[in-house]
Amino acid sequence: MPAIETTALTKRYGEDVIAVDDLDLTVEEGEVFGFLGPNGAGKSTTINLLLDFVRPTEGAATVLGYDVQREPKTIRSRIGVLPEGATLYDRLTGREHLEWVIDNKGSDDDPDELLDRVGLEPEAAARSAGGYSKGMAQRLGFAMALVGDPDLLILDEPSSGLDPKGMQELREIITAEADRGTTVFFSSHILGEVEAVCDRVGIMNDGRLVATGTLDALRENLDFDASISLDVERVPDALVTDLETHEGVHSVTVDGSTITASCARTPVKYEVVTQVGAATTVLDIVSEDTSLERLFNTYTDGEQSGEGDVDAGLAEVETEVSA
Amino acid sequence: MSVLSVAKKDFLDVRRSKSVWIVSGLYTLLVVSLFYTGRSGTVEPNVVSQLSALASVGLPFIPIIALMMVYLAIAGERESGSIRYLLSLPNTRRDIVLGKYLSRGAIGASVILVAFGVGAVTAVLWYPSLEPTVFAGVAGLTVLLTLAYVSVAISISAATGSRSRAMAGSIGFYIVSNLMMLVPAFSIVAAIKYVLNDQFGMGLSDHLFEFIRMLSPTIAFRKAFPLVVPSDIETFMVNVDPSAPAYLAPEVALAILVAWLVVPAALGLWQFNRADLG
Repeated sequence: MPAIETTALTKRYGEDVIAVDDLDLTVEEGEVFGFLGPNGAGKSTTINLLLDFVRPTEGAATVLGYDVQREPKTIRSRIGVLPEGATLYDRLTGREHLEWVIDNKGSDDDPDELLDRVGLEPEAAARSAGGYSKGMAQRLGFAMALVGDPDLLILDEPSSGLDPKGMQELREIITAEADRGTTVFFSSHILGEVEAVCDRVGIMNDGRLVATGTLDALRENLDFDASISLDVERVPDALVTDLETHEGVHSVTVDGSTITASCARTPVKYEVVTQVGAATTVLDIVSEDTSLERLFNTYTDGEQSGEGDVDAGLAEVETEVSA
Repeated sequence: MSVLSVAKKDFLDVRRSKSVWIVSGLYTLLVVSLFYTGRSGTVEPNVVSQLSALASVGLPFIPIIALMMVYLAIAGERESGSIRYLLSLPNTRRDIVLGKYLSRGAIGASVILVAFGVGAVTAVLWYPSLEPTVFAGVAGLTVLLTLAYVSVAISISAATGSRSRAMAGSIGFYIVSNLMMLVPAFSIVAAIKYVLNDQFGMGLSDHLFEFIRMLSPTIAFRKAFPLVVPSDIETFMVNVDPSAPAYLAPEVALAILVAWLVVPAALGLWQFNRADLG
């Protein structure tokens, strides 16, 4: 039984707006699924449909095998949700929020343990949530989602408002939950946080699911390059020729003392480094893992395999990298 | 029980709201000041007369208290997005509407009962007798009126998606059910009567229009008042009409008041169940 399954799920607002268009999505039990797409792609609407906050125009969805419209209460008792952009109750303390969720879910969790897991200080938990920073609110929301050891975690933009340390902790909690067998479904428009934790991703654009699969599979599907640059003391001519003929290396460019190799697959990068290291002294290595950004841009720019699109994607990435 | 869990959390939240305490304090002050002014005068101080005066003077405030305390119960959570937390937990939409109704109803009833309780203490101190039956009757009827408006406000709050629309709806309902109803000659019903009888010459009876007026919870409260005060005390001049047909009886008014406790909340729930909360 899949944790989440949608069939021809469609949500229209009025005549013209199609927020979700004929979505067929399956998230298997136990996997960590990254739900990607730019803002306004339909990710939140999909999550709202799964939680029965909004009703589909057409199609159906099940969560943990239950129909989302017929058995929302059963579903809600077995999942944990971190909603996007939801404010907490200003007049309640952090601890009171947790106690309420524990009571509502009929769980016997220890609030202190949950607070500890998400890194919220007991002193902070004793204060009213009205004075919380966005990061603190997000941590509390995350603790609330973890109450009752849910079978499925639905996290809508979980990293928003978190600092790098918070994001790192978030990744650790997600990984820990996944290790316990929890299915994790989370949406994001930030790509970096996805790669580290996701088994599989789905990319939404304009209400449609334009790609699903493991990141490696998606990369291979588009035949993207992974590029690596090495600053070296000197550039032996033979080395360049050797690299160019190396299997999996598409092209080699030399700019002064910098060698840049464009590789078909990520593991080839290591082979390039070894080979260059054997021939000369390496001063610096820059591995530009732009493939994910390019992947994303390519899928969300419209045409999926046009050469021109890939170049356009690359141009965007380069500006981002230099900025 | 999800309804109780929703109610419990809401109660915890609202009891810290300053406006609830201020409103509660002001209403208690009104009750006490009425008993205070009635304790000395040309005639023998009479608790029942003062209760009638309270019902009359305090009447326009009850709807304001109830609507103000409740109109944001659900609409406010929809606007702030916190309803997503409520609905992510094992609560149905019905649990939320009923839980909110329960908690706000309990708070509204408490505000009235506390004020009447303080009033009872002053009555014992300043008046020859407390008249506990009448006192309890008036308090009970006032609680019913409060709950009727809580039900209306829950309905408006459940059916509207935002703070501003819930506020507009509440103010609109207050104007129609109170300001445009209280004085028969200047009521909205008088306008309907003018159109139907004077313009179209339908010759409908005044009693029928009086019944329409009685559909307002505020007027129903007034018309039900004879049920709780002895008949020798004159309350709300309008009640004294021996030719009135059975459908204008105080019992009917009470039934209308009780219907207000149920019907609006049910309609609000129905609308809330269909709504997209995106």
